[in-house]
Amino acid sequence: MSSPRTVLLKVFRYGPDDAAPRYDQFRVPAGPRTTVLDALLAIRRRQDPSLTVRHSCLHGSCGTCGMRVNGREVLACVTRLDGLGDPVVVEPLAGAAVAGDLVVDMEHVYRRLEPVGRPLVRASERAGKNDTKADPGPLLEDLERFEDCIECGLCLSACPVAGDPRFLGPAALAAAERVLEEPRGTDGRAVLGLVDDAHGAWRCHLAFECSAVCPAGVDPGGAIMRLRRRVLADRLPRLVGRYHQEVPS
Amino acid sequence: MDAPHVIVVGGGGTGGALAHDLVLRGLRVTLVERGELTSGTTGRHHGLLHSGARYAVNDPESAVECIAENRILRRIAPGSFEENGGLFVALTDEDMDYRHSFLAGCAACGIPTQELNAAEALAVEPGLTPALKAAVWVPDATMDAMRLPLRFFATAQRNGAQLRPFTEVTGLLTAGRAVTGVTLRDNLTGAEAELAADLVVNATGPWCERLAAMAGATVPVQPSPGVLLALVGRLCNLVVNRLHRAGDGDIVVPQRRLSIVGTSAWTVEDPDDLDVPDEHVQAMYREGAKLVPAVASAAERAAWSAARPLIGAIGGAGGGGGRELSRTFKCFDHAVTDGVEGFVTITGGKATTLRAMAEATADLVCAKLGVDAPCRTHEVVLAPHTAYFTGRAA
Amino acid sequence: MMRAGLRRGDGRRLVPRWLDPHGRHLGTWAFVANRLTGLGLVVYLYLHLVILSTLLRGPEAWDGLVELFRRPVFLAFDVLLIVGLAFHGFNGLRVALVGSGLLVDRRKGLLVAAGILVGLVTLVAAVRIVG
Repeated sequence: MSSPRTVLLKVFRYGPDDAAPRYDQFRVPAGPRTTVLDALLAIRRRQDPSLTVRHSCLHGSCGTCGMRVNGREVLACVTRLDGLGDPVVVEPLAGAAVAGDLVVDMEHVYRRLEPVGRPLVRASERAGKNDTKADPGPLLEDLERFEDCIECGLCLSACPVAGDPRFLGPAALAAAERVLEEPRGTDGRAVLGLVDDAHGAWRCHLAFECSAVCPAGVDPGGAIMRLRRRVLADRLPRLVGRYHQEVPS
Repeated sequence: MDAPHVIVVGGGGTGGALAHDLVLRGLRVTLVERGELTSGTTGRHHGLLHSGARYAVNDPESAVECIAENRILRRIAPGSFEENGGLFVALTDEDMDYRHSFLAGCAACGIPTQELNAAEALAVEPGLTPALKAAVWVPDATMDAMRLPLRFFATAQRNGAQLRPFTEVTGLLTAGRAVTGVTLRDNLTGAEAELAADLVVNATGPWCERLAAMAGATVPVQPSPGVLLALVGRLCNLVVNRLHRAGDGDIVVPQRRLSIVGTSAWTVEDPDDLDVPDEHVQAMYREGAKLVPAVASAAERAAWSAARPLIGAIGGAGGGGGRELSRTFKCFDHAVTDGVEGFVTITGGKATTLRAMAEATADLVCAKLGVDAPCRTHEVVLAPHTAYFTGRAA
Repeated sequence: MMRAGLRRGDGRRLVPRWLDPHGRHLGTWAFVANRLTGLGLVVYLYLHLVILSTLLRGPEAWDGLVELFRRPVFLAFDVLLIVGLAFHGFNGLRVALVGSGLLVDRRKGLLVAAGILVGLVTLVAAVRIVG
């Protein structure tokens, strides 16, 4: 009979009164479905109750359990230990103030999102194909759903230039693109002005790391490029128009 | 003279709505939560904003609460719901028979319904099984399980409530049998402290027995977990329910680009460390696929458990594992039930009724503290959830 | 309360954020390579001008240098230079296109195409310079 599989976790530990962070090692049982969050909570419950972790929904919908596992940004609640190797290094998101251990202050995400407006509800695509000839009537008007972004901050952590605190960052820019695509009563010109800035859409260097790590399918990198197209489409005709006006007819 | 100070223990939806209500009535509020806000049961539910229809037959008291709160929440938290409605779908002859009492029950509880034949139902929701017999549309909706309560927290914080996540209650301060405050540990720094209060509210959900015991009080609550399944893909746009009495896996809730199938029920002593029994996961797939066939082949995003706090006799109320217990909520004034002053428990209920639970609790708290202030939470529009984060001092 | 502790949760980081390879994907590698080849090409350009300036010192000095640069190790550097130039050029084209909001949904294909072109140029250069 084989002994149950275990994995060694190297977990970033830091308290605000510590001089420097350290990495604690824990050996945890790892079944085929054990997630990184399962392992961290098991450590908290059975080995070291001082380990603090953020979590809420346990299914990749709230965005609170973002962290770096073996250097890559993931949501711990939907990331299985199986396939991550041994040992597994667990660290908090980059570029954020660490409140303690793996818990970071998410203010840096929200202060960027707020100026964009960020309506939460958008028009929904149809789910499935309608084969019947029946008239759906008014029940089908305006199907809606939540925007994809779950504000997890993985994109900001992964972005190679988001260390610059003035950069709006992938999440806010993707939200801006959504607002311009589907205004829902917000002021498009103000948002366009906000992103048409050296620290807005033009600060991106197209690493697309944000899109690679986004767990919600937002594709922030693609959104930033579409924002640039909007800005150019807005600016260029006015530039050309101005030139034509200056040339005497 | 300073306004009375109330400590709310528990940062779930109820605690947040209560902090909001009490602060509006002029009290000083400190809320403590051992983890991140909504990291207990609140954050884990499937996100259903109940119309109350599923309780219309067996638990009309719950149903009436639900439809009232459904309307109020849409008014005070606009833009926080996927408002597509829900369908109760009849698959068998028994379901069709049940339809009569279902419709009568909804009518009696004031829940609007619309009957659809199979073709109409499929036109409204193509994700349904083509084998359905009929359906009833109800005003269900989807909420974000964390972000909706966060709006209450954000508003309370804006109005002066002290919100302290990652702060755990390690004990209660007492004078004789009366509760006078709490002892705390900051889970981020390890620092310990004491905090005095004129009244302590126990809003810890399925953990409420544990806290009550620290005061020498009891609460008849049975933690009752259930399994939920998150599948990849938005397999339906409306909430899809089975039109029957109650059972496992009888609801599919769309949530962004996921579909949540739930749930099951069993009882435990300790709401920490919940199992996710594989038979329950398989039951979700099986039963969910009967309603929305795409469930059967959808990839799994996550499977987890969440514990409801069910009010009932301790030691089990029937072999149903917790399904027969009422889903309504109750306030316990422990001065009355256990002779312990300064301590109140609010428990039971569901995510949809968070504001009503808070109102009832705040009424009791104010009565005990001699504060004469009416509840205004049914009309105050809430701040956006982002304000919780941007409004916090570093 | 959230206290601002360590500014960044970057306990292990030894290099600036943009150079940190842990857990990064192909797009970031292309970005890093573009920065490094860009720097390399600037350095090369300066060196190239310095070399060219030996022309001012007459044909002997120049011929001596040319003999030096015909040694295998310098020919290998030449191939590397072509690779760097090709990469910076073709990848730069991709960045210019996608970065103006054009062909955004085909960007993976553009990266692959750039890679293929770099490979071809490298092959031709290697054959002609070394072979």
